[in-house]
Amino acid sequence: MTLEKVTNLIAEKKELNPAEITAASTLESLGFDSLDTVELIMAFEEEFGITIEADETLQTVGDLVSLINSLTA
Amino acid sequence: MKTILCELLGIEYPIFQGGMAWVSDYSLAAAVSEAGGLGIISAGSAPADYVREQIRQTRARTNKPFGVNIMMMSPFVEEIAALVAEEKVPVVTTGAGLPTKYMKAWLAAGIKVIPVVPSTGVAKLVQRAGATAVIAEGGESGGHIGELNTMALVPQVCDAVQLPVIAAGGIGDGRGVAAAFMLGACGVQLGTRFLVAKECTIHEIYKKKILAAGDIATMTTGRRLGHPVRALKSPFTHQFLKNEMQSDMSLEELEAFGAGALRRAVKEGDEKNGCFMAGQISGLVNKEQPAKEIIEELFAEAAARFKEAATWVK
Repeated sequence: MTLEKVTNLIAEKKELNPAEITAASTLESLGFDSLDTVELIMAFEEEFGITIEADETLQTVGDLVSLINSLTA
Repeated sequence: MKTILCELLGIEYPIFQGGMAWVSDYSLAAAVSEAGGLGIISAGSAPADYVREQIRQTRARTNKPFGVNIMMMSPFVEEIAALVAEEKVPVVTTGAGLPTKYMKAWLAAGIKVIPVVPSTGVAKLVQRAGATAVIAEGGESGGHIGELNTMALVPQVCDAVQLPVIAAGGIGDGRGVAAAFMLGACGVQLGTRFLVAKECTIHEIYKKKILAAGDIATMTTGRRLGHPVRALKSPFTHQFLKNEMQSDMSLEELEAFGAGALRRAVKEGDEKNGCFMAGQISGLVNKEQPAKEIIEELFAEAAARFKEAATWVK
């Protein structure tokens, strides 16, 4: 559920095909540099009504999904 | 010329002297603060003991507010973050990364926190974390640079946050100061101009190079590493660019080639192996002057510009 929402938002931001994004995809491979990542995280905060502390451990779509899940649980 | 920034920080002129690694020591910072601007000590990649000594020496020379610039990529960032809180320095500026995880402790110590931001997203993030103001620094500046340039970045940051914005990058004289205010900034930060302040302790050769530089004297290297650097063209920057183009040169080898190059420029004036970081306005900087004279001249020129511009409006 979260994965789907996250995937769709990423796909929208970078005009990608959602089917090509998996939990193992790294943000870097999807074309996100550090500044893009800040924007992305802020979009997720708005979407899920949470506050995310951005740090370097966030590398893959899966990392983001588990973090969001832990914050919305 | 007073703006809200002067009131906020207790300074006379709304100007910061940029935190430049190896360059911005107590001599320069104290002179700028004494002259009514905000002098800033650079922590760079130095250990906390060095920074503590710089803070003490600055305090011994001025009772006016000053700042410490913390480079978030420094190997000593944790201990320096703790040190500034312990010393309760008046202002902390940050660069090269997100300072958000340290901001609570700094704000609790009464420190005014003013991060350098390269985008509106980062500006919003630090506003949420309690930033006092932000420095919008464009890619005209020297040293590590972002993608956006000052003319485009400053008004967008001004629109994105409800904080005072300080403009940096490409400001070298009173015209630049006036332009920054027109873009919505209420203060300016200058680095390159202060490289040739009398109180700046860099090697004479570094100063000579800045004074001699023209408009096309700088170039950018390090894009492949993801953190580009603007510096004066030199044997070092040309070799760096060549290495960067060589696909068989690993990122680690490239980093190793660049290590220590700024120190060699600042401390030794090493024309062959030094990296003389400088902004695009180097061509406008033609005179070594005391910091006080630089600041007074900048604002006198800016005021003249404003008066002249006002006559164009019917």
